[in-house]
Amino acid sequence: MGTPVIRFENVGLRYGKGPEVLRDVSFEMEQGAFCMLTGASGAGKTSLLRMLFLASRPTRGLISLFGRDIATLPRRDYPTLRRRIGVVFQEFRLIDHLTTFDNVALPLRVTGKSRSAYRGDVMELLNWVGLADHADALPPVLSGGEKQRVAIARAVVAKPDLLLADEPTGNVDPAMGLRLMKLFAELNRFGTTVLIATHDSHLIERTGMPVMQLVKGELRHAA
Amino acid sequence: MSAVATLGETQRRPGAIIPRIQPPLGSLMIAMTVMCYLATLAIGALLLVNRTVAGWTSELSSEVTVQVRPLDKRNVKADVAQVKKILLATRGVKSVDVYDRARSAALLQPWLGKGAILEDLPIPRLVTVVIDRSAPPDFAALAKTISSEVPSASLDTHRRWQAELTRLAKAFQWLGLAILLLIGGAAVLLVVKTTRAALEANREIVEVLHLVGARDHFIARQVERRFLLTSLRAGIAGTIAGLLTFVIVSLFGGLGAPLDLAQASRGLLFGPPETSRLVYLLVMLVPIIATLISLITARLSVLRILHEIA
Repeated sequence: MGTPVIRFENVGLRYGKGPEVLRDVSFEMEQGAFCMLTGASGAGKTSLLRMLFLASRPTRGLISLFGRDIATLPRRDYPTLRRRIGVVFQEFRLIDHLTTFDNVALPLRVTGKSRSAYRGDVMELLNWVGLADHADALPPVLSGGEKQRVAIARAVVAKPDLLLADEPTGNVDPAMGLRLMKLFAELNRFGTTVLIATHDSHLIERTGMPVMQLVKGELRHAA
Repeated sequence: MSAVATLGETQRRPGAIIPRIQPPLGSLMIAMTVMCYLATLAIGALLLVNRTVAGWTSELSSEVTVQVRPLDKRNVKADVAQVKKILLATRGVKSVDVYDRARSAALLQPWLGKGAILEDLPIPRLVTVVIDRSAPPDFAALAKTISSEVPSASLDTHRRWQAELTRLAKAFQWLGLAILLLIGGAAVLLVVKTTRAALEANREIVEVLHLVGARDHFIARQVERRFLLTSLRAGIAGTIAGLLTFVIVSLFGGLGAPLDLAQASRGLLFGPPETSRLVYLLVMLVPIIATLISLITARLSVLRILHEIA
């Protein structure tokens, strides 16, 4: 068995002097795994994902990503690691003055690729998420569902090794939700490890993927 | 397919990641314009002083004076004639101009006024000597000859005045440099503050860039671009305003004093190519240096701040 893509060992997290929002969380995900992370609001799903995309560090325990301990990872190596991770944020985090096309292309642009090199891929992806007609639209004129699809397209455009999504279907209708899940499944088929945080029980049932459940900061059920 | 239909639209250049319009950059633009304007004025003033002093010292160094004092028991006219004879026989002397009593008295009129007092006073007589600057006479030997043969006469080479003027010019040069350094230092501080404000205003964008894997240098380049354009525009505007000031002074100004500001400004801007070329070159450096200061400071500040907030 190879090195796990994600490894949590007794991870605890607290913000400031507050109570622990995550306690003794331990789990592993191998390359090519697809897992759903569920739990009520405030259970710690977003906090767990934040540590995975290096936006926060655990107060205790060990997190390793692609075999590297993030506690000892030098700051200059963050970009290299982050380029292997695609993230769909719950609040989308699109750049309002950039067009849909430029928002989606951002992960490719920061690697120094030329526009002509990524134009085809970006347009194909926009077409897949049904936003090719909105390539030049700015995020403020898009609906919540459209913004969510732009955020998803941005997360997957660089074909990441690990995809983290925080409530990725929360603002789209069921049909589009299913279509987006197909996109994730397609990526997963080509080797991307996928971790989706959601409290949508219907979505979890429909995908039939293994589920991890967070209850008040503790991982109660690891599939 | 719709993807093809919109392809033409997305073929444009990628949008600027850091928005073009930034309130902190607006303030920087105004402040940098004023700084570049002041820097241009300082450089112009420095060159004016240098040119004027150089003109004065050049006049002084091509001329020396012999003063013949009327002493008891000596015939002034004979002494003046003897001095003239010595001077004309000296190598390196081009011409000699003897001031008679009336002309010598006229030189004192501004201080003593017209009247009987001038007639009663024993007025020293002046002999101005134009020398060959390429092969000047031996002043020490000449002074010795004059004082030994005509005890009432003394040679004045104006060296002291020349030294004073050179010292004055040097002082102005240091003052000008100090002003330019102060302006540069203030610009650095301003850019540091503005960089911090600009990053604060774009914190969300910077965070997203980090999360999609952007390196600090990529982010710094995006911020730099905004500073580059702002500083270049401010530099050019300030410098043009500075030059226009000199043009206006040269057209309408003028104090009527021996050092006429209008005339000096005209000489500065529209003088012979060899001098005006230097003026324009130095002035053109203002926006370039302002932009460089801004770029380098912004880059270093961004990298430091990104390191702090990571």
